[in-house]
Amino acid sequence: MISVKNIIKTFEDGVTVLKGVDCHIEKGEVVAIIGPSGSGKSTLLRCMNLLSVPTFGEVWLKDKLLNPVDPYLHTEVIEASNTYKKLVAGGMDGADAIVKIKKEDLLNEKFSAAEGKEYKAILKKLYKDNHIDINVARQKMGMVFQHFNLFNNLTVLDNLTLAPVELKLKSKEEAEKNAMALLKRIGLEDKANVYPSTLSGGQKQRIAIVRALAMDPDVMLFDEPTSALDPEMVGEVLDLMKQLAAEGMTMVIVTHEMGFAREVADKIVFIDEGIIKEQGTPDEIFNHPKDPRLQDFLSKVL
Amino acid sequence: MDFFKDIGVLVTNEKYMGMLFEGLGTTLLISVFAALLGLLIGTLVAIVGIAQDSPIMKLPKLICKIYVTIIRGTPMALQLFIMAYTIFAIRGFPKEITAIIAFGINSGAYVSENIRAGILSVDIGQTEAGRALGLNGRTTLIKIVIPQAIKNVIPAIGNELIALIKETSIVSMIGMYDLTQAAKIIGAGNNMASYVVPMTVAACFYLAIVYLLTFVIKIIERRLRASDKR
Repeated sequence: MISVKNIIKTFEDGVTVLKGVDCHIEKGEVVAIIGPSGSGKSTLLRCMNLLSVPTFGEVWLKDKLLNPVDPYLHTEVIEASNTYKKLVAGGMDGADAIVKIKKEDLLNEKFSAAEGKEYKAILKKLYKDNHIDINVARQKMGMVFQHFNLFNNLTVLDNLTLAPVELKLKSKEEAEKNAMALLKRIGLEDKANVYPSTLSGGQKQRIAIVRALAMDPDVMLFDEPTSALDPEMVGEVLDLMKQLAAEGMTMVIVTHEMGFAREVADKIVFIDEGIIKEQGTPDEIFNHPKDPRLQDFLSKVL
Repeated sequence: MDFFKDIGVLVTNEKYMGMLFEGLGTTLLISVFAALLGLLIGTLVAIVGIAQDSPIMKLPKLICKIYVTIIRGTPMALQLFIMAYTIFAIRGFPKEITAIIAFGINSGAYVSENIRAGILSVDIGQTEAGRALGLNGRTTLIKIVIPQAIKNVIPAIGNELIALIKETSIVSMIGMYDLTQAAKIIGAGNNMASYVVPMTVAACFYLAIVYLLTFVIKIIERRLRASDKR
C-alpha cells in the first residue's frame, strides 16, 4: 500500500531526523511505529503523505510515486541521466548514448528519440506515468493528529462534509447522510451542529477519526492520537481504532501505547535516531527483542 | 460662560453648520473609499506575503516588502504631498481621488501587516488538517484559515480604520475642504474670530464617527465569536 524508500529528512536548521528509512506497509496491515521521543517517528509518518517533504528518497502509494516532486530527482531518471551524462562526457554522441541506455534497458525501452529536448520530454513523460498529484493521493490517505485539528470555524457536521463536498466526491446530501451515519457509529450524532470548542478531547479525536473516514480512505495514518488526551478518554479512542483494525483498514500508527500496539498491530517498527533499528511481529519485538537500544527502550516503557 | 454661549451660536447658525456638514461629507467620502482600497491592497499584499517561497513569487514578494517598508517608514503628509503635487499634479484632476488613493495606499500597508499577523496566528494544524484531507492550499486558506484569521484581525483593523478617519484631517494641507478645514474657516477673523469653538464642535463630530465605528466593530466581533461559545 505505502512504500518509503531511503527517506532522508533534514530540517531547515540542519538537523537530520531521518537517516535513510525503508518501510513497506501491506494492504490491510496495521503497523505501529514506536521509539523514543525525537527519534523521527512522527516525521516518518508525516513524510508518508508529504506533510513533511523528504529531503531525499521516494514515497510510493500503491504503484504511484508521490515524491520526489521534481521529475529530475526520480531515481530511475537520475540513473539514466547520469549514465547519459557520463557517456556524453566520455566523448560519445548524444544519440548513440541514448541508444546504448535503451539497449541496456535502463529505462524499459521508453527512449525513442535522441535530441536533447526530446530526451527531456521523455524523462518528463516517464515521470508523469508513475506520478500522482499529492492532493489526489491525500484523498485516499486519512490522517489523525495528536491535537485533533478539527476546523474550529465549522460545526462538527461541516467538519465531516467540507472535504468530500469541496472535492466534488459527494453531493451535499450524500455527504451529510454519510456524516450522520459516521457520527451515529461513534454515538455523537447529537453533536452534529455544535462547534468543536464545546467537545471533550476524546470526542474531538473520535470526530477527527470519522472526518478522515468520511473520505473513504484506503489507509489511515495516526500521529500519536492519544498523547494529548486525558487518561480517562484514551480508552474510547483506542476502542474506535481497534474496531477499524478489525474491519481490515490499513493503518499506520505512531504511538506510545505499548499495550495497544502489542494487541492490535500486525507489525511493529522500532525507530531510533532516525534509523529503523528493528521491525517484526509484536511477539518478536516485545518478547524477543534483539537490538540493544530496543531492549533498553522496552525496559523503560513496559 | 462665553464658550458655551458661542457653541450655542455656532450650532444654531445654519451657514456654519452647513459648512461643517459639507466638510464632514468630504471626510467621510475619503475615509470610506480609502478604507475599502486599503483593505483590498492589504489583503492582496498579505496573501503574497504568506505565499510559499517559489521562483515565481520572488518578485511580487520583494515588491510588497518594499511597498510596506516605504509606506510605513515615511510620514503620511509627505506621501499626500507627493501624490498631489507630482504624481497627480494634473490640472483639474479631482483632489478627492488623489486623497483616496494616497490614504488607501497608506492604509493598505498597515492593514496588510495586520492581516498577515492574523493569518499566521491561526494554528498550523488547521492548515495541515485541510491539506491532509486533499484540499489544495487555496481552498484550505479560503474555507478554513481566513475565516478564523478574520476573527483575530477585526480589532486591529478597527484600530486602523479609526486612525485613518482622524488622519484624513491633513487633507486641508493640499487645500481640500474637509471637516477640519471647515472648522478652521469658521474660526477665522471674518467669521467667528475664535478657533476654539468650531474646533471643539469638529472634534465632537470626529468623536461621534469613531464611537459609532467602535460600536459596529463590537457587533461584528460578537457575531464572529459564535464558534467560540462554550
